[in-house]
Amino acid sequence: MSLAANSSQGVNPLYWPVQMRRNIGVRGLFLVILAFIIAYGILFPGLFSVFGFAKFTQSWFPLALVTMAQAILMLAGGISLAIGPLVSLGAVIAATTMTQSLGIAGGTAAVTLAGLVIGAATGLIVVKLRLPSIVVTLAGSFIIAGAALLILPRPGGTMPPWVSNLLAGGTPAAFGLLVLVVLAWKLYLATPLGLSLYAAGENPVGTYRSGASVDTALIAAYAISGLLCTGAGLFVAAQTGSGDPVIGQSFTLNSIAAAVLGGVGFLGGQGTMRGALAGSLLLSLMISVMFFLGFTPVAQYIAQGLIIVGAVALPQIRGMRK
Amino acid sequence: MPLLAARDVSKAFFGNPVLRGVSIVLMPGRIHALLGENGAGKSTLINLLSGALPADGGAIEINGKAIAHMSPGEAQKAGIAVVQQELSLTGSLSIAENIGLGAYPRRFGLIDYPALAAGAKAVCERVGLNEPLSTPVGQLSLGRRQMVEIAKALYREPRVLILDEPTSSLSAAETKTLIGLLGELRRDGVAILYISHRLNEVMAIAEHVTVLKDGVRTADQPLAGTDAAGLVRLMVGRDPGDLFPHWQPATERTAVLTVTGFSAGMVRGVDLTVKAGEVLGIGGLVGQGQEELLLGLYGALPAKAASATVGDARELPRNVPKANAAGIAYIPADRKREGLHLIHSILTNIMLPTFSRVPALKPRSRSSERRTAEQLARRFTIKGDLARPAQALSGGNQQKVALAKWMPQDPAVLLLNDPTRGVDVETKREIYIMLRDLAAAGKAVVLLSSDTPELVHLCDRVVVLREGRISALIERQDLSEEAIVSAAVGVEPQKAAA
Repeated sequence: MSLAANSSQGVNPLYWPVQMRRNIGVRGLFLVILAFIIAYGILFPGLFSVFGFAKFTQSWFPLALVTMAQAILMLAGGISLAIGPLVSLGAVIAATTMTQSLGIAGGTAAVTLAGLVIGAATGLIVVKLRLPSIVVTLAGSFIIAGAALLILPRPGGTMPPWVSNLLAGGTPAAFGLLVLVVLAWKLYLATPLGLSLYAAGENPVGTYRSGASVDTALIAAYAISGLLCTGAGLFVAAQTGSGDPVIGQSFTLNSIAAAVLGGVGFLGGQGTMRGALAGSLLLSLMISVMFFLGFTPVAQYIAQGLIIVGAVALPQIRGMRK
Repeated sequence: MPLLAARDVSKAFFGNPVLRGVSIVLMPGRIHALLGENGAGKSTLINLLSGALPADGGAIEINGKAIAHMSPGEAQKAGIAVVQQELSLTGSLSIAENIGLGAYPRRFGLIDYPALAAGAKAVCERVGLNEPLSTPVGQLSLGRRQMVEIAKALYREPRVLILDEPTSSLSAAETKTLIGLLGELRRDGVAILYISHRLNEVMAIAEHVTVLKDGVRTADQPLAGTDAAGLVRLMVGRDPGDLFPHWQPATERTAVLTVTGFSAGMVRGVDLTVKAGEVLGIGGLVGQGQEELLLGLYGALPAKAASATVGDARELPRNVPKANAAGIAYIPADRKREGLHLIHSILTNIMLPTFSRVPALKPRSRSSERRTAEQLARRFTIKGDLARPAQALSGGNQQKVALAKWMPQDPAVLLLNDPTRGVDVETKREIYIMLRDLAAAGKAVVLLSSDTPELVHLCDRVVVLREGRISALIERQDLSEEAIVSAAVGVEPQKAAA
């Protein structure tokens, strides 16, 4: 029977079954998200118009990017506490360069480069000096936050209006961008370097002995993670039309929460990017639904925390029953 | 022309020499056995041959050319593949993705999944793996994972294949497949280095043997014309009988621990009595519930029993402090992780269980702690300054610390989980003497061991577990390696031979 299934897929008898297997762990999560989307749609029927969809996906987009950034590092067996400051840095670089000296292309390049270089440098320190990522990124978060404040001591700067209109206007361009990012990630995971991230995160010694380059896989992961963060910063600047040196703060912990909600483990190599994205979507939905239900911000925080603990504890409790 | 050779290589860890001037030559089309006890340096030699570790001295030669510095990736390119004892697999990746790791076929920079599937399918068929290639390795049993490991090595089409105890977790059928496969590879001209503790297996398939003892090569000769006993002498460096102390069976033996209908983990319906003054052995193949039995008795694993008598109590200890209070101590197999706190001093390690016995807020008396620890260090011949961290000790000395730390509590029952694993011969003998001394002093010693001679020569009685149940209880007069192994694999010992 499995033979028949394999041959019917014709082109690639291994890739798709592997992908299907990866879905098994996140099916429950997808169902919960569906329930939340229905709840959201009932509370706010406008969600299913182009404008409503555009606005919702815009509120989700930066969280989706930083959750991917965090999940990549968790898959690599690390964690980052510098996500928020990197978002802020991306935002202030965008807001100070794009309407001034460098122009839009130059500003985008500066944001990209900042993310890649800072990420790669962090990775280099973690990998070559064998330091725990939590310590390196904690120190990094102070440095990066300071750098953001040096560039723009108080909220200011401007974004080109048409960039703001494109990314944060009435069209679901942000969603389209997210689809491209996810496709790029799928492509990366289909390369030997990308796939060895899972192996290097879960079993570095075994991976090294298998002849795959653990160091390269990990440093590349840190660089990609940095790029996603500053990219999210650019988007946030476009959303607000200006730069704010502390705007990213909440993203550090929210990225961890969303990744954990999506089933990404802390030990390296455990979990999937689709799970992490689903986690970030669920977190965004939860925030929106609670807003429409009239929760006060304080009650939102508490409910959010309870839901995360519950979601993580559920598989454990089920495991104990067995 | 040798495919791969080590000339006079040496290696030391933290100043402890592990290999001293060892040479080995692997020829094409030959199965070469590497024998030696745990801790003899076999794994280190493999790591040097495969580029996983650099040698301190000597040279590694490929096709007769000395290689200055070799990484595992370079070794792989030179056609050297290793089947590791510690698995090199990633649980979240599929069988095929694990097999190809580090050697993925590429197409436009991407992994060529169709080519990977074809290649992985071919090697899986050779080793008899019929699970779908997309199965995550984390879902496979240990034995199947070992087969994936072997398939992974084959996938690289090696010219030199090194196998480190490949059969220790394989079933009989899987072992047979592997041995057939090795014969095929030999005919193809592959040089094979085969490490195993199973002498019969080695005698059956290998042509040449190298023996290591304490990091020195004690033999390098064709296998033809050698007998198993001769090999054991080369590995141990003395007759097996000399290793064990002479002892008298205890005369007065009162039961200190009795359970009936005991279940914990995979252990089901076990009836067991442990008596003061005896060493009770627990044997069987790896993973038949031996560890669960000890942990259940120790209150570290949920356990049930129809009836239980532990000292004066009429029930099983529900947790570890209760077990300690009832006079039970447990010395774990993984002494680095469970038995000791490596970064702390020997003194702290020895005193740790005692801390729970004194009032929590009473100031510590450093001088009395030091006195106690010094006495124990002398009694257990623990070498080295008591202030040094436990990680600086050799495996054997660490084991002694893990044992000594319970002595201030004067436990009535000692549960030992494979205490001599990875311990050198000299320390083994010292530990044997200690265990018999403890029994002679009226303790009940329960010795779980994967080393059958240990069970034969040291124990008053041996319980053999199979699939979580007692398959035999063998009294001293009937103890033999044959009796234990037969009970472990579930066959009747051959009476004719006895």
